Amino acid sequence: MMRAVGSTLSRVDVVDKVAGVAQYPGDIDLPGQLWMKVVFAGIPHAQINALNVDRARAAPGVVAVLTAADVPVNEYGLIIPDQPVLCGPGSTPTAAHVRWEADQIALVVAATKAQAEAAAQLIEVDYTPLPVITDPLAALAPDAPRIHANLPDNVLYSYRIRRGHMESAFAQADVIVESEYRTHAQEHAYLQPEAGLAFVRDDGRIEVIIAGQWMHEDRQQIAHALGLPEEQIVVRYPAIGGAFGGREDMSLQIVLALAAWKTGRPIKTIWSREESIVGHHKRHPFIFKAKWGATKAGKVVAAQMDVISDAGGYMYTSNKVLGNALVACLGPYDIPNVHVDARTVLTNNCPGGAFRGFGGPQGHFAAEMQMTKLAAALGMDPVELRLQNVLRDGALLPTQSVVPPGCTAAETLEEAARRGGWMQSADGRWQRAAHAPSIQSAAGPQASARQTSLDASRRRIATGVGIAVCYKNVGFSLGFPEHCYAKVELYGEAEIEKAVVSCLGADVGQGAHTAFLQIAADALNLPPERIELQVEHTDITGSSGSASASRLTFMAGHAIQGAAAGALQEWQHEERPARCEFVFHPRPTTMYDPETGVADPSVTYGYCAQYAEVAVDLDTGHVEVTRLVSVNDVGKAINPQLVEGQIEGAAAQAIGWTLLENFIQKDGRTLTPHLSNYLIPGVLDIADVIEPVILEIPDPQGPLGLRGMAEMPMIPTAPAIAAAIHNATGIWIDQLPIVPERMWTALQAQNGA
Amino acid sequence: MQSITLTVNGKSYTRDVEPRMLLVDFIRNALGLTGTNIACDTSQCGACTIHMDGMAVKSCTVLAVQADGADITTIEGLATNGHLHPMQQAFWDQHGLQCGYCTPGMIMAAAKLVENNPGITEAEIRHGLEGNLCRCTGYQNIVKAVAQAAAAGS
Ligand code: FES
Ligand code: FES
Repeated sequence: MMRAVGSTLSRVDVVDKVAGVAQYPGDIDLPGQLWMKVVFAGIPHAQINALNVDRARAAPGVVAVLTAADVPVNEYGLIIPDQPVLCGPGSTPTAAHVRWEADQIALVVAATKAQAEAAAQLIEVDYTPLPVITDPLAALAPDAPRIHANLPDNVLYSYRIRRGHMESAFAQADVIVESEYRTHAQEHAYLQPEAGLAFVRDDGRIEVIIAGQWMHEDRQQIAHALGLPEEQIVVRYPAIGGAFGGREDMSLQIVLALAAWKTGRPIKTIWSREESIVGHHKRHPFIFKAKWGATKAGKVVAAQMDVISDAGGYMYTSNKVLGNALVACLGPYDIPNVHVDARTVLTNNCPGGAFRGFGGPQGHFAAEMQMTKLAAALGMDPVELRLQNVLRDGALLPTQSVVPPGCTAAETLEEAARRGGWMQSADGRWQRAAHAPSIQSAAGPQASARQTSLDASRRRIATGVGIAVCYKNVGFSLGFPEHCYAKVELYGEAEIEKAVVSCLGADVGQGAHTAFLQIAADALNLPPERIELQVEHTDITGSSGSASASRLTFMAGHAIQGAAAGALQEWQHEERPARCEFVFHPRPTTMYDPETGVADPSVTYGYCAQYAEVAVDLDTGHVEVTRLVSVNDVGKAINPQLVEGQIEGAAAQAIGWTLLENFIQKDGRTLTPHLSNYLIPGVLDIADVIEPVILEIPDPQGPLGLRGMAEMPMIPTAPAIAAAIHNATGIWIDQLPIVPERMWTALQAQNGA
Repeated sequence: MQSITLTVNGKSYTRDVEPRMLLVDFIRNALGLTGTNIACDTSQCGACTIHMDGMAVKSCTVLAVQADGADITTIEGLATNGHLHPMQQAFWDQHGLQCGYCTPGMIMAAAKLVENNPGITEAEIRHGLEGNLCRCTGYQNIVKAVAQAAAAGS
């Protein structure tokens, strides 16, 4: 029989999606449903003295207006419950404190959307505005106002690494590079804005139909806030219109359930794009102060980093993202002397949280810029310098544990280098015929689909190339009890006629369910047509964990294989149907030592290297990526077509983050709440430049050798592009995004100099 | 309220609508055809693209009353006699979708593009899809899908 794994089996949802019958949360209606309008505070920092909803309650069509006083346990949060479900008086002592403009203060439930929206206008709020902190550095000042009363210095979390002896290491260095890097917030802009439906079922339990990333975690947080046992809640995921980390934290889950519970009626809502952009977290902005030293021979001997991220008003996943950035900011290198101080700091900006790469893109921007600059300072080839320092099997991580076996940072980098025109000379050293930065007219080979209104023949274009490499943890790290359930049931008499495979990992568009099917088919030696997937809701089996941390195929793969093996054994024992529920636990990890950062932080890692070619318009500052080669070691491509799709999509998001996407807030308010002012890449911004390259070097811990892969191609893009810009223009751009204005200003400064 | 009569996917409907109602809301809420998606509030994304009197239009930019008398096709009406339209088949074959939320609008825009320009080039495909956003795919497979459908049609 043909193996399912490795084939480009069609996605299980493809027919529904091309036919337009796939149901997303906003597509589902129930008889008797009411519409809910979520009211945001609209002010980034304030005390709510009073909230008068009398007029709203009396408005036409209104069935209920819920406020803080209506929330049984008025707190929530993925890591710690530090955020009120609804801000306002009449609840916990801290709930009357608004810390973010999109803190939710009331739920207006009415017969129609128009009635709910009209009534929301009638809510009267008596605020005492508080000073707004928008700069994490200012938040650290001794006299800065507190965002949370229990955190006097506004430092939400901190980590550090101490390894080796910095002073003697820097004394040993022949070159030292010092820089400050700044990375910016990024909006997920999944095309499906938040939407959902909640209702009380006939069995008395509350069901919430929503798009999320981890249905059991949603269930837990809903139950906590409602003060109900978890079994009282059912969470169901229909088709999900993208996530990228943006659905990891609660948006509508709790408030939909609350309104359904309080009114006994089905409750529906759909956020507008504006509500979505204002109302959910972003990729954390980071500031890195870096000082790295290397010897003439090309050994990086010391790396010192001071890291600050902007957490916004609440924890979300800030400590976890910081934990990742702590090692990401050192790159995939074996550096004997390391000193990192990392803090995540409270402000009144939009909360920072999960976004594909989870601290990896930010950290690697700093690390890989440092490597490129060190190579330039040493007069060394940037690939050669990296390969002399890169982590290889047996090497120690900065946390002083051995890198998990199967480290392929070097292999991905070498492949990207080859495809970018590097060659290994007889003495083993890597070099590329120096790219002569050229200035040419745009009408030549660099002409692209995207033409500006300028006369093409008059444009002056400089071209350049750059390269970068990264690693990223697979799975929940730092001692989190990582696990994943799966269940297999086999039906038939003499032979297996049908298998039912259950695994509750969310298919957010990446194709997880198709990968589950392929892994199950081979594990059971059945054709995929004979397998039915059950993946929809929390009653089916135990938690599969989140669709995040590039973990799902890795963890679910193991769990499905385990359940399949168990069920086949039962089948041998003549059980009909034969059943097995299996929980996979990967090897445990440990938390950073608070003094030294010593830890075995992650189950395993995935690796990616990218080579970028850019064209910089010297008159307008427009930067265009003309070619991006992304080499990803995925261990084993369960479905090469889906894997390539992940690489291409991630690289496009990364190009967007680097060059285009510019989330702007002023005084704690979002100035870019629409897709007309928060620009995401369109087809002309990406053109045909992404070349996905799959390596399959097995991860000894992976099921079938596979590695997690979905975040990694988001990570090296920014530093590869910035290196290429330097190659083209001689300018280092240390701050993202490299929008035309920033590039143009730097070009002007260079001309003036 | 104003009464309108229009044909959607070959069926005639007469309904009373608010003068301010958008065509996309009419299609989704009054007719229950939820394949047409909404992803923005500024006419940027193209998720709501349908065919109206032979043209691909963003149905969030049209009032329902403006569609009085119109002949409309939505994604649900693109397949004929149980056979997917070549553009739907091409998105399937080329893996031109991930989450699928942009897909109906993308397919509707692309189908018209190819119909109007059978020998369409890759650059023309890109220009033609400029008004449709996708956050998942990086567009590579979408462009391939449209090229496949164009080749199949010619
Ligand atoms: S919803 Fe019509 S263009 Fe976005
Ligand atoms: S497939 Fe998700 S937006 Fe296009």
